[in-house]
Amino acid sequence: MAVVSAFLVPGSPLPYVKRDNPPWGRIATGLERAGAALVQAKPDVILLYSTQWIAVLDQLWQTRPRVSGLHVDENWHEYGELPYKLRIDTRLAKACVAATSTIGVKSKAVNYDEFPIDTGTIVATNFLNPGGKIPMVLASNNLYHDFALTEKLGRLAARLANKQKKRVAVVGVGNFSGAFFRHEIDIAKDKIVAPKYDRWNKKILALLQAGDGKGLSAALPEFATKGQADMGFKHGAWVLGALGGKFTGAQVHAYGPLYGSGGAVVEFILK
Amino acid sequence: MPRTQKKGAIVAGFLAPHPPHLVYGENPPQNEPRSQCGWEQLRWAYERARKSLDTLKPDVLLVHSPHWITQQGHHFLGVPKLSGKSVDPIFPNIFRYTFELNVDVALAEACCAEGAKQGLYTKMMRNPHFRVDYGTITTLHMIRPQWDIPVVGLSANNSPYYLSTEEGLEEMDRLGKATRTAIEKLGRRAVLLASNTLCHWHFHEEPALPEDMSQEHPQSLSGYQWDMRMIDLLRQGKTKEVFRLLPQFIDEAFAEVKSGAFTWMFAAMGYPEIPAELHGYGTVIGTGNAVMEWNLARAGLSKPASKTRASRRVIRQAA
Repeated sequence: MAVVSAFLVPGSPLPYVKRDNPPWGRIATGLERAGAALVQAKPDVILLYSTQWIAVLDQLWQTRPRVSGLHVDENWHEYGELPYKLRIDTRLAKACVAATSTIGVKSKAVNYDEFPIDTGTIVATNFLNPGGKIPMVLASNNLYHDFALTEKLGRLAARLANKQKKRVAVVGVGNFSGAFFRHEIDIAKDKIVAPKYDRWNKKILALLQAGDGKGLSAALPEFATKGQADMGFKHGAWVLGALGGKFTGAQVHAYGPLYGSGGAVVEFILK
Repeated sequence: MPRTQKKGAIVAGFLAPHPPHLVYGENPPQNEPRSQCGWEQLRWAYERARKSLDTLKPDVLLVHSPHWITQQGHHFLGVPKLSGKSVDPIFPNIFRYTFELNVDVALAEACCAEGAKQGLYTKMMRNPHFRVDYGTITTLHMIRPQWDIPVVGLSANNSPYYLSTEEGLEEMDRLGKATRTAIEKLGRRAVLLASNTLCHWHFHEEPALPEDMSQEHPQSLSGYQWDMRMIDLLRQGKTKEVFRLLPQFIDEAFAEVKSGAFTWMFAAMGYPEIPAELHGYGTVIGTGNAVMEWNLARAGLSKPASKTRASRRVIRQAA
């Protein structure tokens, strides 16, 4: 099997730019644990899908060999900058661009100086792959793709990596419950915005921990609506697609609020 | 307000959509990609709008863009000079634009403060490394390519997407009123720019040659009909009727005015029942775009302030 490790991580910048706030610091610590586990698995490439890289025409894939810069989050600009340095596995990314027509998706390569890398991709990379040492494949979130199609994209990317005989880490970047506080809060007392979202997040986490793929498949559609899962939990679809359902459980490195939304750092236990 | 400072005024508002294709079609030196042609009706519409703006001689342009999305509050650009290269995340093949703009920070701060007084969560953006969104840049380039007028940039809190459309637009109404108060207090001659498309149904694939106009047409007949209905009402000055229909228009035409700029602008202008001037209409990847003007100065609905000492200073700095 090509996949040697798999993770779900939140894309909020808060654990990175404001880790001295205890609720967000705990998630930062969880992200560091996940980063250590990822490195230990010795992947040749990281397949990363971020809900925050939005596309509306075609499926976009980053193909610029090296990407670096300084990003300021659109919302949390007061907490400073997000530096980034990424290395792209262009051979695999181009293979993805070429192959998606087999699942009815038109893809496009993105290779432009100063192309805006999204906050989620940067935060995940800085925790899981600091300095961009491990080459990556970055995939966009086309708003018109559903959960099932995103699963197919994840499966396809993993299959192509396998064809290139690469050990793969798969990463889905996004929140669990996506509902958030819209007003100013005492950040030290941050909490999930409503108990029902907390319950939904914990239900999904428990299914992941139990390795209950069938239960998960049954619960996710309702989680997307009633739990207000971030972007329909498509980052989960990416990872589950790449895994092909082959996981026996999951370790939750951290779970907590990110300005009201649900942030969880999850490492899949693979067969 | 100093005793000698005249009361400011909004002299006009423009519906000023931001498809980056218009910049691409124009081939300005700031944009890297080159086109053969494209979207002339809309670009010529903007040419007419530019002439009108020139006669208005504003101190400041205020632009509300749906592509600077802030989930917590309404934010305002608050750095005197911002520059960089803006690459459109959706259309990087056609928009890679090097920009430099001057911000009227004093007015932005006043808008922020007045918004807070209206009960809104507002915030200043003070980070000098901030990348200005392509919606703001496209609208500003298309209306004033000289970049010689200071700017106030407002983010889209997208409240209508999290609350009901009506509740969300009510927030935008308050933001508009706050904006007007700030303009009046600071004595600025202001022009408002609502950076919004009308019907937002679009194609899902781009032609091999983006400027292949043989592929350009409304994506949806019903969306086009909605656009014509709303434009016709606006041309007749039937503002009340437009706002009565707005939630239905938003739902049925997937109209981008949901993001709030249109309501913000009208609230700031006091919902004038004056005929809009349609400079032009056209589609971009199937979406409906109108460049329209409400000239309050010409209609006698604003008493424009002459340029104040403060505003002259901002303009000198911009130049």
